Amino acid sequence: MNLRLAVFLFLFAGLLLVCGPVWAHHGNAAYDETHWITISGTVTEFVWSNPHCQIFVDVKDDKGKVVNWAIESQSPGIMRRNSWTRTSLQPGDQITVTLAPAKNGAPVGFSGNADGKVIFADGRVLKMNNR
Amino acid sequence: MRSRPLALIACSMAALTAAFVMSNVVHAQSNPQQAAAKSTAAAAPAPKRDLTGVWQLQGGDGGAQPIAEDKAMPPMTPWAKVKYDAQKPGYGSRGAAGGNDPILQCDPIGFPRIMLMPTPNELLQTPGRTIQFWEREHEWRTIWTDGRPFPTDPDPAWYGYSIGHWESDDTFVVESMGFNDKTWLGPTGYPHSEDMRVVERYRRVDHDTISYDMTVTDPKAYTKPVVTPHRVMKLKSAEEISEQPCVWSQENEFAQRIRNPATPQPAK
Repeated sequence: MNLRLAVFLFLFAGLLLVCGPVWAHHGNAAYDETHWITISGTVTEFVWSNPHCQIFVDVKDDKGKVVNWAIESQSPGIMRRNSWTRTSLQPGDQITVTLAPAKNGAPVGFSGNADGKVIFADGRVLKMNNR
Repeated sequence: MRSRPLALIACSMAALTAAFVMSNVVHAQSNPQQAAAKSTAAAAPAPKRDLTGVWQLQGGDGGAQPIAEDKAMPPMTPWAKVKYDAQKPGYGSRGAAGGNDPILQCDPIGFPRIMLMPTPNELLQTPGRTIQFWEREHEWRTIWTDGRPFPTDPDPAWYGYSIGHWESDDTFVVESMGFNDKTWLGPTGYPHSEDMRVVERYRRVDHDTISYDMTVTDPKAYTKPVVTPHRVMKLKSAEEISEQPCVWSQENEFAQRIRNPATPQPAK
């Protein structure tokens, strides 16, 4: 492979990384699916309900202030297809979540498509995008 | 700043490459026979006159799909335009947070919109009828195959009245009518009237694949039939349909805790 091709492929891959979320966008209008963020904190509640499961996480901001984040997840049927169960999360669990935050700045996000994921304290990763 | 021209060049090249790749994908998708030929390489042959199984619509990034892209929609009648303007969707070119999509209050999704959902459906054949279950809504319809005609004056229904027949050993054709006009044609807020008729073609191209086409004819709402994009369903042999009703109390709690906080408040 010559150098120019290698450079091109490298840049193209980088562009795909940046543009991927844009292409993945399917119009979930409340959320900014072009700027995914990652938060870490302590689970306060896991709601297993139709049509949307919900995860609530206490997250400390830079100044040490605790904010409770609300995360829109998929339906129990879809969650199960992605290896989730209704007991996957317990209050007190430490998790890291990649989500699309609400455009209006509220501590709310969506983690249910290809870019979203939850990382557990033991390193396991669960997604929720396989329907 | 020196890297900017390089980045621009790379971006342009990448965009061109992507456009080329995607145009090939689109081309391949627009040719069902080609796509089918590709998939038959791996899958077993289709059984004759049999659609039994759990099926999942492909594409759409796993989300709900529009009935058709805006540019592919035929012109609306003035009657439909009034409805369209009043319908505020959460998806598509007019998508905004909030809105008045009827499914946000657990109104039935209805047909044909439910066919555009990413969650699976299950087809079961029994003499005289085929039953279609949808995981979403935990809903079902009967597709009558006993040769009966449509009822003359059915009560308008969320899921209509469907009759089906085998056009050939691999193609099942379903015609539906008798709808109310309360449902949207899809998540992007296109309306329809009670006069809507829907024709679907399920062609089992191999053991694992249904080639799916749908045409919506509704002269009260559209000046020409809505020909939806060709779609594919894949057999999910290991799947069970699970329960996914819209539960109003739970949906309401969800709205209060997640949807409403994420919705910008109107300026005062």
